[in-house]
Amino acid sequence: MPSTTSDSTAAIIAGAREQGRTVLSEVEAKQLLAEAGIPVVEARLAATRDEAVGLAGEFGYPVALKIVSAQITHKSDIGGVKLNLGTADEVGAAFDAIIAAATSADASAKLDGVSVQRMAEPGVEVITGMTMDAQFGPVLMFGLGGVLVEVLKDVSFRVVPITERDATQMIHEIQGFPILEGHRGQEPADIPALQDLLVKLSSFVEAHPDVAELDLNPVFAYPSGAVAVDARIVLSAPDDA
Amino acid sequence: MPDSKSNLSRTLNPSTVVVVGDKRMNGYMWLNNMRDFTGKLYSVQVDPAEISGIEELGVRNYTSLAEVPGEIDYVLCAVPRTIAPRIIADCAARHVGGVALFTSGFAETGEEEGVRLQSELGEIARRAGLALIGPNCMGLYNAKLGVRQAGEQPTGEAGPVGFISQSGTHAINFSLTGAAQGVRISASISIGNAEVLDVADYVDYLAADSDTQVIAMYVEGTKDGRRLLRSLRRAAEAKPVVIWKGGVTEAGARATASHTASLATSNDVWNAVVRQAGAIATESLDETIDVLKALLRCKPATGLGMGLLAMTGGQSVVITDAFVRAGLDVPLLTDASYAELAGFFNVIGGSYKNPLDIGGTIGFGGQHEQLQRLLDILEADANVDAIAMELASGFLARRWQADPASLDPLLDLLVAHQDRSAKPLVTILHPGHLEEVTAKARARVVERGLAVFPSFERAARALSSAIAYWRSRAAAEA
Repeated sequence: MPSTTSDSTAAIIAGAREQGRTVLSEVEAKQLLAEAGIPVVEARLAATRDEAVGLAGEFGYPVALKIVSAQITHKSDIGGVKLNLGTADEVGAAFDAIIAAATSADASAKLDGVSVQRMAEPGVEVITGMTMDAQFGPVLMFGLGGVLVEVLKDVSFRVVPITERDATQMIHEIQGFPILEGHRGQEPADIPALQDLLVKLSSFVEAHPDVAELDLNPVFAYPSGAVAVDARIVLSAPDDA
Repeated sequence: MPDSKSNLSRTLNPSTVVVVGDKRMNGYMWLNNMRDFTGKLYSVQVDPAEISGIEELGVRNYTSLAEVPGEIDYVLCAVPRTIAPRIIADCAARHVGGVALFTSGFAETGEEEGVRLQSELGEIARRAGLALIGPNCMGLYNAKLGVRQAGEQPTGEAGPVGFISQSGTHAINFSLTGAAQGVRISASISIGNAEVLDVADYVDYLAADSDTQVIAMYVEGTKDGRRLLRSLRRAAEAKPVVIWKGGVTEAGARATASHTASLATSNDVWNAVVRQAGAIATESLDETIDVLKALLRCKPATGLGMGLLAMTGGQSVVITDAFVRAGLDVPLLTDASYAELAGFFNVIGGSYKNPLDIGGTIGFGGQHEQLQRLLDILEADANVDAIAMELASGFLARRWQADPASLDPLLDLLVAHQDRSAKPLVTILHPGHLEEVTAKARARVVERGLAVFPSFERAARALSSAIAYWRSRAAAEA
């Protein structure tokens, strides 16, 4: 587990700072997390249609494409996300459609391109993330995804750094825990993999004090393993860094 | 040179105490609070109109700290806020151990002047290694030495509870209400705005203090949450830590800001902190005292199985609901227990599945050999980890009214059982319609060292919290 910031991690953060950005792109966020040993569905940036098709072929179908632009935060609202693309032709068409939609939504937005990633196999949807508390600093959150977190606020918290025991308790504490244990004949989710993800996330947060906010939403938990499908990282404002 | 934190021990265990700025208007409250102090007590006051009143109390007054003879361990400062920095500077010059500032009007006001003055005196204290307590606080309580926050606080023997309070009122109420229920204090600190020493420093002190067996606190906030969490976790590995958090609702949090200038943290995060530390969360003064009774007066247990004894059928039902709601189990007993119970239990108007409806079998407290057999059976039963017993329903209180000593043989039996037993025993004394009689009876139970509660719900919740602590500690040690 890296305890110090690797060169490329430092470069990504420095690059964002240079451009005056606090929000990292999904591609950047996932690269940081992957370097910290946190399993993510890898996303790479395609600046052109050909690059997108090439990456899709490399990852294997089906794939998802998402707009990458610092000015566009609500990607799906403007038609900047295309899922379940099964062929090279679909990927090419989706690339063009996304760029067109983004341009018509905000002509002044600087478009870096489109992120390409393989569609993850569906699993039990969980979320985890970090927020800053005024007294306790970074606090990790864990919960089941979708409606359970939005409506029922069925989540648990621990202050960073967490131990393995804290991670176990976080997972067991939520009301929806039986769903992870395997509900109605479903295979149980890989709890140790989720524990490991939480502990690594805690180490990542500790190693990067200028990360102000972090969301892995969703994370898919499988009978074996777990993977962050989407990731969002916000750096602290330059004054606080 | 000792720093502010290492000077805390000297301040809490003083040989010489000086009260600065006590006034007739307050009834010379601080000098009166110290009237049983076992060491040397002096006053500093410059106002001639006040000095005569102070001397009438038999306390030697000086017009400056510089004139006070010998080493000074603890200063209680009650001067107006604009003069406070000068007194703190005098304390620093005299190498005083620590000073508690009763004076308020600092950061809690949110005004620039108050904030500035607080950081000014903090700066002086830190530089001098002075243990600054407060400002905006009621100072220290050390029962053994007679250092008090209020004249009503008992002095003499030290108790086992170290108490930290971000409210002077709660510090005093806890010490008085707790003492009435047998929960006594080793050291108590009213920490106010916690400018120099913060909650974590006091937790560290009490964790190391050999008189303190359990740490309890009323907290509104802290400047360094991560340090507090580390201190709490370390303390809870060695002794139980009970945290009563104030300002858990949004409106309550607004009140803490003006009370002690504390930042808001969501209730979810605080609860997580308490769990992460392996501490116990409580929600009120009463619950805090209840949990301390369960921790201090009951044997530690990690199992959840309750053996329940009630006097009547209806009480058997509701005592069961109360303990199950609190997260404990009420299991069936072993076959061996049932075989023995079948031999003598009076099933006419009673039952023994667990809960045990024992009124008829023990003659409502009159037949002690039968009660002894019941307790022995529960003690031996592998399914039972802890025992709860209703001492009396309403109608039994009449008996004590007529003959107060009639309770004694029952208490003798329970105390002897508790001494032998490895399992926690909680007792419940309810009768509300004869509160005066019940209060006297309850005081006798307290005196005998038993854990007694005014309702099934409170007994259940307190025991459940205590068991959760012992379980968490066992899991951490495993």
